[in-house]
Amino acid sequence: MARVRIAIRDLSKTFTAGPREVPAVSRVSFDVHDKEFVAIVGPSGCGKSTILNMIGSLIAPSGGEILVDGERVGLRAGPQVGYVFQKDTVFPWRTVAQNIALGLQYRGVATAEIRSRVTEAVSLAGLEGFEDAFPATLSGGMRQRVALMRSLVVNPEILLMDEPFGALDTHTKLNLHAELLGIWGARHQTVVFVTHDLSEAITLADRIVVMTRRPGRVKQVYDVKLPRPRDVIRLRETAEYLREYGEIWHALGEEFQERV
Amino acid sequence: MKTRDRWSVWAWRLGILLVFLGAWEYLTGIKAISKTPGLYWIDPFFISRPSVIAQRFLFLTSDKVRLTIWQMALSTIQSTLWGFLVGITTGFAAGLVLGRSDRIARIFDPFIVAFNSLPRIALVPLITMIFGFGLLAKIVLAWSIVFFIVFFNTFQGARSVDADLIHSARFLGAGDGQVMRTVIVPSTLAWTFASLTPSISFALIGVVVGEFIGGESGGGLGYLIIQSLGTLNAADMMVALVVLGAIGIVMALGIRQIESRLLRWRPEYQKR
Repeated sequence: MARVRIAIRDLSKTFTAGPREVPAVSRVSFDVHDKEFVAIVGPSGCGKSTILNMIGSLIAPSGGEILVDGERVGLRAGPQVGYVFQKDTVFPWRTVAQNIALGLQYRGVATAEIRSRVTEAVSLAGLEGFEDAFPATLSGGMRQRVALMRSLVVNPEILLMDEPFGALDTHTKLNLHAELLGIWGARHQTVVFVTHDLSEAITLADRIVVMTRRPGRVKQVYDVKLPRPRDVIRLRETAEYLREYGEIWHALGEEFQERV
Repeated sequence: MKTRDRWSVWAWRLGILLVFLGAWEYLTGIKAISKTPGLYWIDPFFISRPSVIAQRFLFLTSDKVRLTIWQMALSTIQSTLWGFLVGITTGFAAGLVLGRSDRIARIFDPFIVAFNSLPRIALVPLITMIFGFGLLAKIVLAWSIVFFIVFFNTFQGARSVDADLIHSARFLGAGDGQVMRTVIVPSTLAWTFASLTPSISFALIGVVVGEFIGGESGGGLGYLIIQSLGTLNAADMMVALVVLGAIGIVMALGIRQIESRLLRWRPEYQKR
């Protein structure tokens, strides 16, 4: 087994809402290995985004610890970590090319190299012809492509993705799944991908962490044994896919049902 | 907009203006009692007449006067622009600092509220005493108004910067200075711009009020107005008002141009 890149130990988070204490995440432990694609699924409010936020050190844990590359996560995430938000975080005052160039500019990369890497990323995302367009003129899918490319262009070894395709329609979503798998197949980043969409998790991930409803605990961890490379559309018609889906859906379904 | 639409809009505007001026000229020419001097339906003594105003305008541009209308206009424009420029830069800087620091904002809050609730006109004599009768007093007065308008807008803008945009920048490797330059400033500017059009109008108000008591040295259009009050000359007042109106329009248009250039990323400025 490859080395552990993210180790989560007894992780808990309790939010204070006025006089009440709301436990969001309770004693969660799991590992993410190098070059592994792990999805976290669970009903909404199960704390899966909270876990991701803690890995990215956007919020501090109430208990337990997270080690990224053996180091305890502190106030700021390390330079090897990239993050793609569910919300549209493309800078509206910058063009597509300027958005993708951001990380390279922050890191002081030479202008000529920025240009060539941005051009490469733009063509990889199929955004040719939109380099100088402002985000306001783009569709939601295109904006999320820009956000994805902006994170990937600085070559993060660890990529945290918080329901990045949650707001997109099915067709756009499938296209982006294919693109993400293509990119991941070439670079093999370590990915933690949060979603409430089980089919998305099965399509993309090597392993799936299923969470219980609030307070979120790890209910079970599944290995997705589907072969790679995966065809995001054909995959859904295969018997293996349906078997995996049925098995995990059963576990997840219990969590959804108990809510009602 | 289609060219034809644009023409018809302009034709309407011109038409309304001509009807207004025509009615003014006509109504101020009808005597209330025929052949009795001095009694009009609408007395031109108070509101003058377009033809008289035009004559006075020409006279005030000639070299027969000590201070031409152009010199006065220039003085008003200078004070206004300086007050405006100093006001937006200081207002923006202060808004940004206080908007991004809760502690400093808490400390300064009562002072800002207190100073802002002072009617600025009440300060005119004091400002004139301190800064004299020249341009400087008018600039300070315009600044004292513009500063707060820009400050409050910028403050709100700086507070409402989307935290996730800042997080995104951090994950992409931005340091504090880079976050400031590439996220907070551009995001706040959109709010600041919203305050520029009212700011220029208020700068003009501040300057004219300053000129009311500013005397002839550095006297602008406000000086002409107050002088005309002394001589009960409605026509000269009207000349000053028309020129002030023209200055206001040109400045507002200028700001709209700059705004649509700098905020061209916003949906409302995108070419359709």
